[in-house]
Amino acid sequence: MEPILNNFKAAFSQGNGYAMANCLMPAAPKDDAGLLYGFYRSTNHFSVQSDIRSFLTYDSRGLFVSKQESGLWVDVFVAYWKAIGDILHAEEASNQTKGPGADWNKVYESWKDMLNALLRGYTNSTFPAWSIPCLYVAAKYLRIFAIKADEQTEKTKGAVTFSQGLSDDLVSSVEKNEKLEDATRQINRIYGICSNDRAPMEESRKWGLYYFTNLMFKCHFKLNSINLSKTILKSLTASAGDMPPLHAFPKSHQVAFLYYTGVISFLEENYEKAEENLTKAKQLCHKDARKNQELIMTYLIPCHLLTTHTLPTMALLGPYPRLQQLFLPLAVCIKKGDLAGFDAALAASEREFVKRRIFLSMERGREIALRNLFRKVFLAGGYEPPKEGETGTNRVRRTRIPLNEFTAAMRLSLKLRSEDELSRDEVECMLANLIYKDNLRGYIARDAGMIVLSKKGAFPGTGV
Amino acid sequence: MSSTTAPAFTAVAARRTLTGSEPSVPKPSPTIWSKEVREWVSRGFAAATDDDGITHDELTAKIKQIITEYMSNESMYSVDWSILPIPQYFIQQERQQAILGPAYQPNAMYYPTPPPPLSTFREQATVPASKKRKSSELGVDQEPPWRKSNSLLEDRVTYANPTFEDRAEKRSKKRRDETNKATSKYQNDLELRKQRFGLHSPSPSQPPWRSRSETPAPDASSGPVIGTNEDLEKKYFRLTSAPKPEAVRPQRVLENSLKFLKKKWREGASYPYICDQFKSMRQDLTVQHLKNEFTVSVYELHARIALEKGDLGEYNQCQTQLRALYAQGLQGHPTEFLAYRILYFIHTANKTDLNDVLAELTPAEKDDVSVKHALDVRSAIALGNYHKLFRLFIDPPNMSGYIMDRFIDRERVSALAKMGRGYKRALSLRFLAEELAFESVQQCHDWFIAVGAQDLLESKEDGSVWLAADTPTYKLFESARQTTFSKVDIKGQI
Repeated sequence: MEPILNNFKAAFSQGNGYAMANCLMPAAPKDDAGLLYGFYRSTNHFSVQSDIRSFLTYDSRGLFVSKQESGLWVDVFVAYWKAIGDILHAEEASNQTKGPGADWNKVYESWKDMLNALLRGYTNSTFPAWSIPCLYVAAKYLRIFAIKADEQTEKTKGAVTFSQGLSDDLVSSVEKNEKLEDATRQINRIYGICSNDRAPMEESRKWGLYYFTNLMFKCHFKLNSINLSKTILKSLTASAGDMPPLHAFPKSHQVAFLYYTGVISFLEENYEKAEENLTKAKQLCHKDARKNQELIMTYLIPCHLLTTHTLPTMALLGPYPRLQQLFLPLAVCIKKGDLAGFDAALAASEREFVKRRIFLSMERGREIALRNLFRKVFLAGGYEPPKEGETGTNRVRRTRIPLNEFTAAMRLSLKLRSEDELSRDEVECMLANLIYKDNLRGYIARDAGMIVLSKKGAFPGTGV
Repeated sequence: MSSTTAPAFTAVAARRTLTGSEPSVPKPSPTIWSKEVREWVSRGFAAATDDDGITHDELTAKIKQIITEYMSNESMYSVDWSILPIPQYFIQQERQQAILGPAYQPNAMYYPTPPPPLSTFREQATVPASKKRKSSELGVDQEPPWRKSNSLLEDRVTYANPTFEDRAEKRSKKRRDETNKATSKYQNDLELRKQRFGLHSPSPSQPPWRSRSETPAPDASSGPVIGTNEDLEKKYFRLTSAPKPEAVRPQRVLENSLKFLKKKWREGASYPYICDQFKSMRQDLTVQHLKNEFTVSVYELHARIALEKGDLGEYNQCQTQLRALYAQGLQGHPTEFLAYRILYFIHTANKTDLNDVLAELTPAEKDDVSVKHALDVRSAIALGNYHKLFRLFIDPPNMSGYIMDRFIDRERVSALAKMGRGYKRALSLRFLAEELAFESVQQCHDWFIAVGAQDLLESKEDGSVWLAADTPTYKLFESARQTTFSKVDIKGQI
């Protein structure tokens, strides 16, 4: 146990919270794969308490402020030692094909014990606030182990639990993600302990707030309960007054926070807000964090399509083959006004879109495709015969267009066969939609079977 | 408290009737109890809490008593200790018995019986998947078996008919031969009444708010109840204690109840009555752990009736259960109800859930007629294609129309806002009635009056009515649209 505890003591005396957190990792570092094994084997259940106590307190004069503090750290490391034992067992078992398999529920529980031991040090402010990265590690892995435990439970027990009690119906409230829900509650507790800190800002636990908020967002997204995220967001904005501004926090916290709030706004169909946050996140995101950039752009591109009707360019998508695959086919069809192509491309990547929750937004790109199609009809209509005094430069385009021309264009674009029906009423309906959303200026003259377009700017934002 | 509960210890009626021997109390031999027995005892102590009103001494005494009894009648090794309820359960039973008096017999929970094989009960779901808009029409085309036994079924509900007595006698005699624990109808009624009495007045020693916590937590290992009740009708009560077999109907009876209720519904029985009956059926199914095709058919029918009556709350409960039942691989009409689910999320404008449904769809489901219809409705609304939406509304499969009814007016308002923008000249009501899928021009006219658009209507000399288009129409319907979409009644409970 020497290496880990020595590192810990060194980090503690230097006041380096992140280095301390490294000593509580549930996974061994790459350059020392046997570290955790060695740590676990160096003692046993019987003597772990006394071993850790003597090692931590030996030759550590002045390291701990009080006996209480050293005692709490001993508890943390005893719990950590036990958790490491369960983790090593679970990893061993999951590598074996035979046997009972890994018990991630047990791992979750013992890791939670570790987290609680750690939390005790913070609730009464015994542990210094700068050591809070230890809680980051504990909370981060609590979520990971919870997901593993739930996966295991679902595999063994099945997704549905039937009630045995006095309820009227067969199925009790489905506890599919029991452990993850519990983990979210634990993280919420940590959040509470951080936000209640009244210490001056320099030594406040409030510096951890965004980290835990992000972690909770992550859990909520996995649990499909994004509404809960909004509650957190509200409480965070309520306490924003007593907090340092967002840009004072570590960049990684900022980027994650902006990303999640951006996606939440996106799902609420508040595209302007979403675009604002996502753009900021993209700007702050580390240039080598390719995956994070990709995630941000997955939502930023549909946002941009809906707010400004602009499509991603090849230059933008170039470095991201995955995004190219996702958005390029649709972008091409929207540009060409190819409705049949759009429908096919949408259907082809429906699964991917739905998984990322952008399907319902991407679907609305069809309207832009339709607008582009009708714009082509307008352009193909040419110009009114020049009146007297008009020169070639300010000629007026033909603005009274028979409905039939739009119908024909839609039939072509939808690749309809001669027997397929496309009623006049439906074309009028689509036109009314475009006019309603100000993608087209003009009106339908139903009796005359004509569309009368505005002489100036019939298609706002497209140059005609 | 102990003064009222103390007498309960002397009366162990249930044991006497089963063994027929007076429990002599032998000196506890220094036998080493088997593992199961020890586990049972530790289960009892583990379940002991401060607030269930049972003291440690009482518990110890009860455990001793039970073990002694089993020793005395030599059933020590024939009893499955692993499924025997915890000792607290017996104490609760006795307390209840003490309250209710000697006529009350605690049920035969001492020996939980395994459920009979489901295959004996299995019945093919009788509801055909034909296109119907009335739930009562569902299943009409099969020969109704209750026609032949019409009088019998009626008799069994109303106890006034003397022939019922005979039949009930016969049946109970038969049952007595089978199980040797049949009760007469009179006793049955009496017990029901007493049970009800017991439910409503908790023991005097306990304040009312304690009564819930005093209920023994039903032990999962105690196994399902096997019902013995023969009534076709049963009022629904929320369970507050373990169910009594004599108040629970077995599947055989429930199947007849379902037929009976179908008939009643077709004859125009009131919805509150039908709903109540279905809820009690669902409860009976649950307490007996019946999870089979018959269960599915009960939930499906209740869901359909609730839909027809616009009781979305009850419909939702059924829908949740059905999803879980289908997930067990039980036969039914999963795609029909999947379609309702999609439409319901359209109604509640629940984008998150809608996305989740889309994520779970399989290609086979997408090809199903009713699911396809629901998906088309979704895409028509998403794309603002009201023309297509109202064509889909005119010809919905199954009962999808009843859910669409819920949001169709909202979509009409939204369509009119767009029309107000798109058209400059007045639109004839004939066109609007057709485009917005009203049944007649008159109905369309009435609707416009109802939404307060009377000022926009204009009659022409030829008797036709026209709706003024352009800005006023747009303004009216746009503001109406914004108010209706901002508050969607999510639960839809009535």
